[in-house]
Amino acid sequence: MTDDGEPGELLGMADRLLRRADPATAGLWPRASALLALRALEESLHRLWERRALDLRSCSMRTQLICLRSYLDDTPLAARAGHAWSALSRACHHHPYELAPTSGELHAWFSVVSELARRVGLPSETPPPGRS
Amino acid sequence: MSRLEADGSVEERWGGLVLAALEGPAALEAQLSGADATPREAGVRPSPARLGAFIQSIAVEGFRGIGPRQALELRPGPGLTLVVGRNGSGKSSLAEGLEVLLTGDSLRWKERASVWREGWRNLHHPRASLRATFLVEGERGPCVVSRLWEDEAPFEAGVASAQVHDEAPSALESLGWAAALRTHRPFLSYNELGSLLDEGPSKLYDALSSILGLEDLVEALGVLQEARRSREKALKEATDARERLVERLRGVDDPRAQRVVAAASGKEWDLDAVDAALGGPASAGAGTAEIDALRGIAGLEPPDPARVGAAVAEMRGAGVAVAAARETAAARSRDAAAILEGALQFHAAHGDGDCPVCGRKGALDGAWSQRQKAAAARLREAAMEADAVHRRAEAARRLWEGLVPLRADSIVRAAEAGLDLGALVKSLGSWVEAGSIADLGALADHVESTSGPLRDAMVRLRDAARSELGRREDAWRPAAVEVAAWLKSAREAVRGGTDLKGLKPAEAWLKKAAAGIRDDRFAPIAEKAAGIWEHLRQQSHVELGKIQLTGEGTRRRVALDVTVDGVEGAALGVMSQGELHSLALSLFVPRATLPESPFRFIVIDDPVQSMDPARVDGLARVLESASADRQVVVFTHDDRLPEAVRRLDVAAEIVEVTRRDASVVELRRALDPVGRYLEDALAVAGTADLPSSAAARVVPGLCRLGLEAACMEVVRRRRLGRGEPHAEVERALSGAGRLPRLAALAIFDDVERGGDVVSRLQSEAGPSLADAFRQCDEGGRDVQPAAALDLVRQASKLTAWVRGLS
Repeated sequence: MTDDGEPGELLGMADRLLRRADPATAGLWPRASALLALRALEESLHRLWERRALDLRSCSMRTQLICLRSYLDDTPLAARAGHAWSALSRACHHHPYELAPTSGELHAWFSVVSELARRVGLPSETPPPGRS
Repeated sequence: MSRLEADGSVEERWGGLVLAALEGPAALEAQLSGADATPREAGVRPSPARLGAFIQSIAVEGFRGIGPRQALELRPGPGLTLVVGRNGSGKSSLAEGLEVLLTGDSLRWKERASVWREGWRNLHHPRASLRATFLVEGERGPCVVSRLWEDEAPFEAGVASAQVHDEAPSALESLGWAAALRTHRPFLSYNELGSLLDEGPSKLYDALSSILGLEDLVEALGVLQEARRSREKALKEATDARERLVERLRGVDDPRAQRVVAAASGKEWDLDAVDAALGGPASAGAGTAEIDALRGIAGLEPPDPARVGAAVAEMRGAGVAVAAARETAAARSRDAAAILEGALQFHAAHGDGDCPVCGRKGALDGAWSQRQKAAAARLREAAMEADAVHRRAEAARRLWEGLVPLRADSIVRAAEAGLDLGALVKSLGSWVEAGSIADLGALADHVESTSGPLRDAMVRLRDAARSELGRREDAWRPAAVEVAAWLKSAREAVRGGTDLKGLKPAEAWLKKAAAGIRDDRFAPIAEKAAGIWEHLRQQSHVELGKIQLTGEGTRRRVALDVTVDGVEGAALGVMSQGELHSLALSLFVPRATLPESPFRFIVIDDPVQSMDPARVDGLARVLESASADRQVVVFTHDDRLPEAVRRLDVAAEIVEVTRRDASVVELRRALDPVGRYLEDALAVAGTADLPSSAAARVVPGLCRLGLEAACMEVVRRRRLGRGEPHAEVERALSGAGRLPRLAALAIFDDVERGGDVVSRLQSEAGPSLADAFRQCDEGGRDVQPAAALDLVRQASKLTAWVRGLS
């Protein structure tokens, strides 16, 4: 694992792909931005584990997302993050007959990822005393 | 028309009616009323339709989901184009845009709330315009049709125009497409296809029969039917009214009422008799005897008391004179003369002989006769005075008879007219006793005493007769008004009844002829539809036999001979949604591709919804054969149809539609998914626009997507080629999971051998491709920006290798 991009930065690139009309990225932006957002989400999780000194990076994403529910003091957000991950991940694999996601779908997932990144980046996300 | 002539029935009265009905209701009425039909007006002939139109481009701006102007360029000619985009991507806005451009409306809006229509403008773009370019056979240049809106203008205010090559722009109508847009409707949308079968057999009938060009016949049939119905209605109303009238008239105590009843009761109404009863005098015709009797009685003169008094006085006077004359010489002479005259008559009868009174022998002879005749004459003279008295008495005796001018038959008829004659009969009974009273004094007394009651009885009877007459008149007059009203409608109804004799055969003939023409014209369409259904049914248990348009009027319907699992006569209800749509497509693709349609294109919006993959294969075949001589543009919301088209090697152009924020809709020619992913990866790796760090993250993911698509393509081709059912193949693919298992399915046809993939790649495809596979699989791992381009190249080789697997 090399350089881990800043989740906010990854998400910013994804968002720009979505918003800015550009012939160079016409048509490819849905999958490309989904790939970037998925990376941003996974990166946020890695940062959380690092902060908690937990070695979860080698675990499957499913496991990581289940753990997220315990380590994030916001069960609804954890659940939404889980949902956004599976949706983004689905968009990043080829499925029979499925077309790329729409900008509306992507926007909704991005907002979840962005919220998660912000929560992970906050100092308050350090565990309360006695918890770690 | 030719059928009518062929039947040789134009000469018939109803043949003329058919021709008149073809010209419209007014002409029919004129023909029926015997007037010369107005000469057929040379209608304003629409300019001939521009035939053979292909779409070159559709450009949409500020309309529905499309903001900035976006144009869909198409190859103007036969061929298949698929426009693929997610729901909301703007692809339907293109399809709708074309429909609205040409028809000024969209069928899919008609069913919906007005808010749907009001949302026609794109929120992100103030300007709205639709424009399409067509290549029309025989025209030297393209034909541009446009519909433009002023800013803020409502939907209806769009201005449509058409310009053919270098001709001056003109109204859209000048293209002559309006009728064909309805009858050969080149737009088929999912909603429309569904609703055509949902709306019931008569709607379906209308939709299909409109292409057969039978409107004239149907309209003429309608005209004839309307004429027949109005006449039948009039006849029925007159008949019903007649029953009510007869019922009513039975209660009217008037002979005229009874005459009307008699005249209107037969099978054929004697309307002239009714008219006569209304207008003619009451005395004419049957049933008036009573009125006459009543009138006779009403005109009775009861005995005048003064005349009675005079008669009585004369009787008395004559009586006294008779009594006085009895004692006089004149009376003696009169009596003696009577005796002598009797003896002379005796001698004249029996000749000379003895006296029959005194018996003296030979007393009666010629001399005696001479003598006595002279004596009798003398006596007569002497008796004159007495005779006068007697004649007076006789005259006085007869005076009573003249006092009461009553005729027996009028009394009898008065009884029949329902008058109470009791008192009259009684008093008359007493009155006529006068005939047997010899004594004049007694007679005078009798007349005097009985004339009063008789007079009273007669006055009462007369008054009764008068009031009865009045009553009957009162009852008749309002009834007469009703009779007059009925007479008017009955005359019309009877006239209409004779029209019916011509209208009915005319209608029957036209109905039969229309059915014949309809069947002839529909047969090729039915045949084509059956062919399409054979493609689309695939594993369906539903067999479609004969398709027929049957019935007319409210019973018109499309008869679909549907057999399910060999059971005949099954209803549409047993068919699944997908089957229904397939059926609708089967029926409407032939309609839209008839040679007489001016359009060489059909636009189908989302036909694959609710179709299973096998049926999509059938659809691809149907579209392929339709695109042999038609430009077929299909909008679809997922990749099923493009996948089938690629796999079945159907020649097609595929255009992808995506919609960014602010309604920026982008179109691009699509390769197959593998090529598209790799091209995207190449674009990302090479774009200066993206930070290289982003490219490094996105490229492996896109390469993996391409690899996955390649694996799926191989698996699908192989398994479907083996005859495996679509559903099982799809299950295997979607159950495979991550790339190694998918690759194992592609390479080993065994999903469980994921662990062997890399080693097989190393031995068969080379270490660099195996390495590329690992990079793609790990996906989450970034590549160095410089290596991104190399990865795309390796991935391209890898997908080519995978696709080469059999």
